[in-house]
Amino acid sequence: MANLLRMTDISKTFGGIHALRNVDFELNKGEVHALLGENGAGKSTLIKILSGVYQADSGEIALNGQAITVRDPAEACHLGISTIFQELNVVPELTVAENMMLGREPVKTFFGMLDRAASRKKCREVLETLHISLSLDTPVRKLNTAMQQMVEIGRALLIDAKIIVMDEPTASLSEAEVESLFKLVGELKEKGVSIIYISHRLEEVISICDRATILRNGEVTAECQREELSLEKIIKNMVGYEVKERYPKEQHNIGKTVLEVRSLGADNLFSQISFKVRAGEILGLSGLVGSKRTDVVQAIFGADHYDEGEIFLDGEKLPPGNVEKAIESGIALIPEERKKQGLVMGLSIKKNIALPQLKSISRLGVINLWEETKIAEHMGKQLQIKAGSLEQEVQDLSGGNQQKVVLAKWLYTKPKLVILDEPTRGIDIGAKIEVYRLINNLAAEGVAIILVSSELPEIMGMSDNIIVMSKGKITGTFKNEEVTEEEILACAFETQGRC
Amino acid sequence: MNARGFIRKLPQYGLPIATVILFAFLSFTAPSFLTGYNIQNISRQVAALAVAAFGQAIVVITAGLDLSVGATMALVSVFFAIGTLKYGMFVGIIIALAIGLVVGFLNGSIVARFDISPFIVTMGMASIARGIALTVTGGTPVHGMSEGFAEIGVGSFLGIPNPILIAIMAFFVCFFMLMYTRLGRHIYAVGGNKEASRLSGVKVDWCTVKVYLICGLLAAVAGIILTSRVRSGQPTLGTGYELQSVAAVVLGGVSLYGGRGNLVGVFFGVLFIGILGNGLNLLNVSSYTQQIVIGIVLILAIVMDSVLLRQEKARKSVTVKQAA
Repeated sequence: MANLLRMTDISKTFGGIHALRNVDFELNKGEVHALLGENGAGKSTLIKILSGVYQADSGEIALNGQAITVRDPAEACHLGISTIFQELNVVPELTVAENMMLGREPVKTFFGMLDRAASRKKCREVLETLHISLSLDTPVRKLNTAMQQMVEIGRALLIDAKIIVMDEPTASLSEAEVESLFKLVGELKEKGVSIIYISHRLEEVISICDRATILRNGEVTAECQREELSLEKIIKNMVGYEVKERYPKEQHNIGKTVLEVRSLGADNLFSQISFKVRAGEILGLSGLVGSKRTDVVQAIFGADHYDEGEIFLDGEKLPPGNVEKAIESGIALIPEERKKQGLVMGLSIKKNIALPQLKSISRLGVINLWEETKIAEHMGKQLQIKAGSLEQEVQDLSGGNQQKVVLAKWLYTKPKLVILDEPTRGIDIGAKIEVYRLINNLAAEGVAIILVSSELPEIMGMSDNIIVMSKGKITGTFKNEEVTEEEILACAFETQGRC
Repeated sequence: MNARGFIRKLPQYGLPIATVILFAFLSFTAPSFLTGYNIQNISRQVAALAVAAFGQAIVVITAGLDLSVGATMALVSVFFAIGTLKYGMFVGIIIALAIGLVVGFLNGSIVARFDISPFIVTMGMASIARGIALTVTGGTPVHGMSEGFAEIGVGSFLGIPNPILIAIMAFFVCFFMLMYTRLGRHIYAVGGNKEASRLSGVKVDWCTVKVYLICGLLAAVAGIILTSRVRSGQPTLGTGYELQSVAAVVLGGVSLYGGRGNLVGVFFGVLFIGILGNGLNLLNVSSYTQQIVIGIVLILAIVMDSVLLRQEKARKSVTVKQAA
């Protein structure tokens, strides 16, 4: 097969630091080429150079054998290079068709009126070739992430994209949605579209890509065909050492019941949710995106209201919709979206850590700054937060370190119950393992833990017991050692019609 | 490295430097500018604006906005005068402060409860407050207060004019509140990230109500100062104060996007606006033209805010890369 794209000897520095050093990257027609590496390894920089966001300091890019320069994203678009970022670029209020045609709406010549018929026809054709059934008139805000992604892929095809870059496309998809995305990737391949695939989920990468390039510290450490790929090999090339145990599961003593949820229900969201978590137990909460897992844990934490049912912590009933009380009683929630829900990005590490404890460290409303510093120093050391100083704003930190700040802020509250909602999303493998260790340590100290995750291996690798949710109901409860991946998936699909 | 660090920090010192340049420029061009009388005049004029701007700053740090500051001052002015005539000055002051709190409470609770744009809510409130002030007085000033009524505005204590003392006190109370108290920290947190604050146990709605209460109260204090100075209840008092206070706040480096800024910056912002206004007066620039100047300054300040924020983001994405 001929090379469609060839990037040779690409280097890029930011303020004297090499983000990329002599990187070579090739892409064939109709190939899925995975780009792997830890956060900061240079994947995004390479992609941004390809899509015209950055300019390379040196090196060449050739498309179909012809040297090209990509000066800006518009030019990349023109060349048929389309990027689908992790944060989707859709306009929620516009419909599917309007989103797909955005920026190149066909017009009737008279007064520049929109040619709706033509635009709908084009959209329908594209969606049909991809076997996606989506109503063109649905406002995009009503679609789930997976569907929104399809809209973006459709848009890429409408501009005749020859190369589609997918940056962490499955980060917020559930297993089932991942499957349909993979099917779509297959369709795209058949149409001769090439795909650059970036993901932290290694199992998934192995199953979908034809070839993989692995980066570490801005350099290519390996390029191998699918047959040569293995989890161990990828990890070794990504982190530079072998990681024996990805999920360092330990056995702990499980104690008395800490949290008891009795037939919890909220309008149109979830109903009849009952379960218990005991001290030292890790309860995995699995389910597809849209199964309302997050809504349930937010309700337990008091961040969302519920209409029926009761929640008991250590035998005491919790009032609904009261975060402050939940924190006081000993519940901590590490939310799903670190940047939107977990941290105040413009505040320092110290002030972020202090936020939930302000009440306990202030007298008559005046904060004891000395104690605040002491807490931050203590937690920073305990969790090994890597930062120049604790006065540094959290937006300057890497994803893994930001997550550690969120953990620090909650662990200091000495919680009896810790709820972790997708705690390892988008952080690199080194940091992931640290998070797993931490969860184990907490369980060993007798803290009850609810682990919400879309990654089945993570759920199966970490939990003692597993609850599966589908469409707002619990569809399965298992002991970890007695359940297979297939059984969990079957429960996750229950009552879940295809969209 | 040091020179680089200084240049990077330059925007922070930009306003004090600009204030000094403006001061120097006026000292040369307007002969009566650098006289003891005029300096005292500036500080008196600036005092009321400063008090109102501190309140505005606190609201803006939560990513809010209060456009009813000027109208609140008018409403306060009218009822301060009427209350004083009927029940004496002490009760008049109580009534005045209470009115500020009521307006603030309405603003805050509507914004928080219905989660709507403070821009629209406070603009509507401004119309209501100004309307009441005009209706009650029939559009004419309230006169007839005794000499003692002017004491707050024109009197002095230990040689320092009262308005300035009040402004200094307001500064320190607000400064302390923002930097050292739980409420202050909540204000920055809510402005920086509402959702994360809520999930950290901060009562976001209450915090919003509180900042508008504070802003209303400070607007009332500013209204009392000005009313006392002119010794009459004026339904047209405080016109333009909403815009001037926003200009001072943004000039002072408080970001309209919330979560950033401090009162020291706002102090310089007020000084700049005050000196500018005074200078333009001395240079015989008409009040009509002055409005144009204030508008330009406001827009420039907001453009600067947005540009600086973008630059900082760009610089930060680079440092993150370096750290990684």
